[in-house]
Amino acid sequence: MSTDSKSGGRIPIENGIEQTLRKVLKESLKSDLIDALLLPVKVPSGDSYAWILMQDPALVEEEASPMAAVMPVQGAKALKSLTRKGNGSLRVAAMMRPCEVRGTIELSKLNQINLDNVTLISYDCPGALPLSDMSDAPQDTEEAFMGLLSERNFESTAVKPVCQFCTEFSMGAADVHIGMADPDTSQLLLISGSEKGTAFLSATGLKVDEEPSAWEKQTDSIQKKRIQQMDKAFQTIQPMVEGFDNLADTFSNCIGCHNCQSACPICYCRQCYSDSKESSLESAYYLDKAEKRGGISLPHDRLMFHVGRLSHMSLSCVSCGQCTDACPVSIPVAKVFSYVAAQTQQAFEYKAGKTAGEAIPLKEYKEDELKKIHEMTKSAESQESPHE
Amino acid sequence: MGKTFNPKITAFLCKWCSYTGADLAGTSRLQYPTAIIPIKVMCSSRVDPVFLIRAFLKGADGVLIGGCHPGDCHYESGNYHTRRRFAILQSIFDSLNLEKDRLRLSWISASEGPKFARVCNEFTDKIQKMGPNPTRKNMFI
Ligand code: SF4
Ligand code: FES
Repeated sequence: MSTDSKSGGRIPIENGIEQTLRKVLKESLKSDLIDALLLPVKVPSGDSYAWILMQDPALVEEEASPMAAVMPVQGAKALKSLTRKGNGSLRVAAMMRPCEVRGTIELSKLNQINLDNVTLISYDCPGALPLSDMSDAPQDTEEAFMGLLSERNFESTAVKPVCQFCTEFSMGAADVHIGMADPDTSQLLLISGSEKGTAFLSATGLKVDEEPSAWEKQTDSIQKKRIQQMDKAFQTIQPMVEGFDNLADTFSNCIGCHNCQSACPICYCRQCYSDSKESSLESAYYLDKAEKRGGISLPHDRLMFHVGRLSHMSLSCVSCGQCTDACPVSIPVAKVFSYVAAQTQQAFEYKAGKTAGEAIPLKEYKEDELKKIHEMTKSAESQESPHE
Repeated sequence: MGKTFNPKITAFLCKWCSYTGADLAGTSRLQYPTAIIPIKVMCSSRVDPVFLIRAFLKGADGVLIGGCHPGDCHYESGNYHTRRRFAILQSIFDSLNLEKDRLRLSWISASEGPKFARVCNEFTDKIQKMGPNPTRKNMFI
């Protein structure tokens, strides 16, 4: 990953990665820098995780699963529910996957998350395992994920399909990042990405004075492989969506439950147009269509829902794959959305959630841009005196 | 089948400019195709991309947005935002190979009755050549 000079520090791994990390987190909570931690915790039934806002340092050590095997609720959604009405003076550190950080950055640009006093911690992510693995076989799934972490395995095909070609698996806009890809497996590398991050790390008593160049080299080489994976994946996705009939086939078994949308961190509207009464029509309309097309499926408008959703959120899509996890009929929603989003974002040279500073392209404009569309608006103008 | 193809084009026209331009085309007795079905909106930026998608998936052979010239939007910058959203929709149509040429954006001022008629003629000709909207026959939509 191209990085401006980042600095890091190390602590020896004792009793496993998670336990070491819990200690760091606990220290931060004991310091007077952080009031609460937002962390995944295994639910009592043992087959999933929930986001818990924790204030008791003892609980962190007993309960936290800072690197969870699956991603039941996207972290950006959890942070949104905490800070949508502002963050007051509560100083929170949240432990997230890189795609959750990206979702968070997008939501903060959309005024749904307030990042004041929030410290974001991320880690090199080997990919999340499919949510259904965890409900089918909790223990195996957890062990499998811990295996990926301890072996520094970033090429697993067991992780969610979009994770397999995720190129943004490493440090992005987080304040603190854990260099899981670092070649030194006896120590945990903690990297600071901002002033907040440096303050956080010093509050935990860590000396941050190292340039993590071995880690950078490693993440660069993983990223190169991921880019190849992405090209390959896109080649297989293309025929699934290109041309209207193929697209319709891909979504033909959609049951219209809109779970993909509820799970999406970016879809934050309280009411979606697709769920509004404006989107349904008189029965005469459907009869008329049935006559003209020979027949129509009911409930109607499934493709309008998906293409419409793409038009609303693809610029901000972070390819976290929550939509696929949520789909009860195994439609590869995330692959399709990732594929389309890559192109929408490219059209604006934008990468969702990558940096915190810039506005999302829909919030701004330039007077002189989008040449091709400009040409289109010019056509048929010629014979007249130019408009003034 | 075997019938001649009479295209249908949904046109979202900004009340401050293109819609008035269409009126002017009418009062000036300029000819433009009956394929055009105008819908008046308060500003081109009122047109959510979903409106275009909906028109398209419900069988419109072409969809047109008419707005004020850059710099002339009644709400100052609405049309610039329209242009960006239009770019997004074009990109999505491109990725899905959905014949993005069926989408058209045009700036037509209130005094440009003749331009309105020309845009409509030109666009209708193009759609006529492209043939019916490919979604029209699909039941599983
Ligand atoms: S979750 Fe699956 S079935 Fe439900 S609306 Fe989304 S694509 Fe359709
Ligand atoms: S008022 Fe005409 S485009 Fe905004």
